[in-house]
Amino acid sequence: MSNELDFDELLSRYKTDPFDYVDIFSVHTGRVSFKVGVNQEVASVSGEWLQVPGTALYEINRERNPRIVNAQVNGIVAQINTEFEGQFVEAGVKLMTIKHPLKKKEIIENILKDVLSLFPAPESAKYFFAMDIQSRIDKKGARAVTIESGEEILTMSLMKRDTPVYYKGERGVIHSIYFKPGVSVRQGEPLVGVCAPEMLPLIQKIITRVKAEWDAEH
Amino acid sequence: MADNQPTPQAVLQQLRRELLAQDSDDEYNRTEIVRYGAFVASVIESHDQLPRAMDHARSLIASSANSGQSMASGTVILADEMSMCKGRFTRSWHAPRGGVWGCMVFANTLLPQWRSFISLTAGVACCEAVREICDIPSSVRWVNDVLFEGRKLAGFLVESYTEPVHREEFALVGFGINVNNTAFPAELAGSATSLGRILGRDIDLSLFTTIFLARLAYNFGILYHEEARDLRGDGFSGKQKRHLLLERWLYLSDTLGKRVRYGFDVMNAPQYLAQAIGLDPSGGLILRLADGSMKIEHSGEIRYLE
Repeated sequence: MSNELDFDELLSRYKTDPFDYVDIFSVHTGRVSFKVGVNQEVASVSGEWLQVPGTALYEINRERNPRIVNAQVNGIVAQINTEFEGQFVEAGVKLMTIKHPLKKKEIIENILKDVLSLFPAPESAKYFFAMDIQSRIDKKGARAVTIESGEEILTMSLMKRDTPVYYKGERGVIHSIYFKPGVSVRQGEPLVGVCAPEMLPLIQKIITRVKAEWDAEH
Repeated sequence: MADNQPTPQAVLQQLRRELLAQDSDDEYNRTEIVRYGAFVASVIESHDQLPRAMDHARSLIASSANSGQSMASGTVILADEMSMCKGRFTRSWHAPRGGVWGCMVFANTLLPQWRSFISLTAGVACCEAVREICDIPSSVRWVNDVLFEGRKLAGFLVESYTEPVHREEFALVGFGINVNNTAFPAELAGSATSLGRILGRDIDLSLFTTIFLARLAYNFGILYHEEARDLRGDGFSGKQKRHLLLERWLYLSDTLGKRVRYGFDVMNAPQYLAQAIGLDPSGGLILRLADGSMKIEHSGEIRYLE
């Protein structure tokens, strides 16, 4: 966490290039076949229950088991490593980049992710707050709930197997909650963003400043 | 003294019966499966009453760890009656005398990708035990509820617990099976049933529990057997190289083809309607929504619409 942020530099970066560049990697080993081309627009997963898959980006075929990998964000295909077309690749090889246009809310979240301690999902699963934490949030609001390293804060639910999740990180208040009960979170994605209580005014300042400047110019 | 008193010896004897069922067409090795699963119910604690078996298990695991030991994997804790039972979320679970209530302590040595199958194992074991003893067509509803004619006979919940000293991870396999208990609170009266109600007579509680635990042991043995085959690169031993536990689940389940309501907490927050059309290789339920799109759910629960 940092108390020193160069707002002007940060905002100017987002104003000149209000995009995220999302790299897409091979999900496992296999032979790759691209389903999109450069500059093609791609849609992210949609529908009330996120049931409509995003645009098919590539197919990867391992031992005659083809798998289509779909876009998780919307945007434009900025670059493709076409040399991998039809080739066998290892897991984790960068295949393409999607240029994703950022909304104001995403810009605020991106900036906050630089100042908050993010606690990531240990596995792809659904999460809910531990009963004690939920009751404290219900009573006082998340930003009044302080958590400490080693404290049970969440329950991870997968196939009716509930696993307590213990917070690892600096003591602080829960500023941002990145999951919704009943919606799956991918492994490694943030579940909560935590900050020291004395950081709250700074964070509020960031939000106010971005909102004001973005609204004025967009 | 507790009424429900199965013994480890009786469970092992039941488990060994699997060896007699060896079929030359089977591609799998029942002896290996029995050996892998024999740890289940190697220790059984029978109590007259407990507030909650899972809490008791946690305190036993912690006190073993504090005294420099590790609790025996497969230990089963039973109570004739439990006063502070709970189901998922904040739901209450009614656990009066006559039912099989308890949990099994499992030192989690499975590879991460097979841990999700623990829940399936409990439902399969119970459904097999019910069919064997009562000869009624019980079925499994995804994930692991055991039903008879649409009413719930049994439910299972797995809770992980990491002991505080050595950070060893355990899975506590909780079970609640309505056997000879025939009265239910008003809120469960329309959705729950018991073997006593269905058969119109009591059945031997210790014998039922013995057979259930033997089935649990065999199905846990399958998890290790299939894991070993996968690591050797031999493929799974079910038909068309499907995981054998999934094959047994599919044989017992009536979920596929049903129109269902899905929700993470389907009772309090139902999310959408769909048709259950398949099970993916990791046990996830494949659902087709009204707009034709598909979703695979790995957690949450369903209720049948018809």
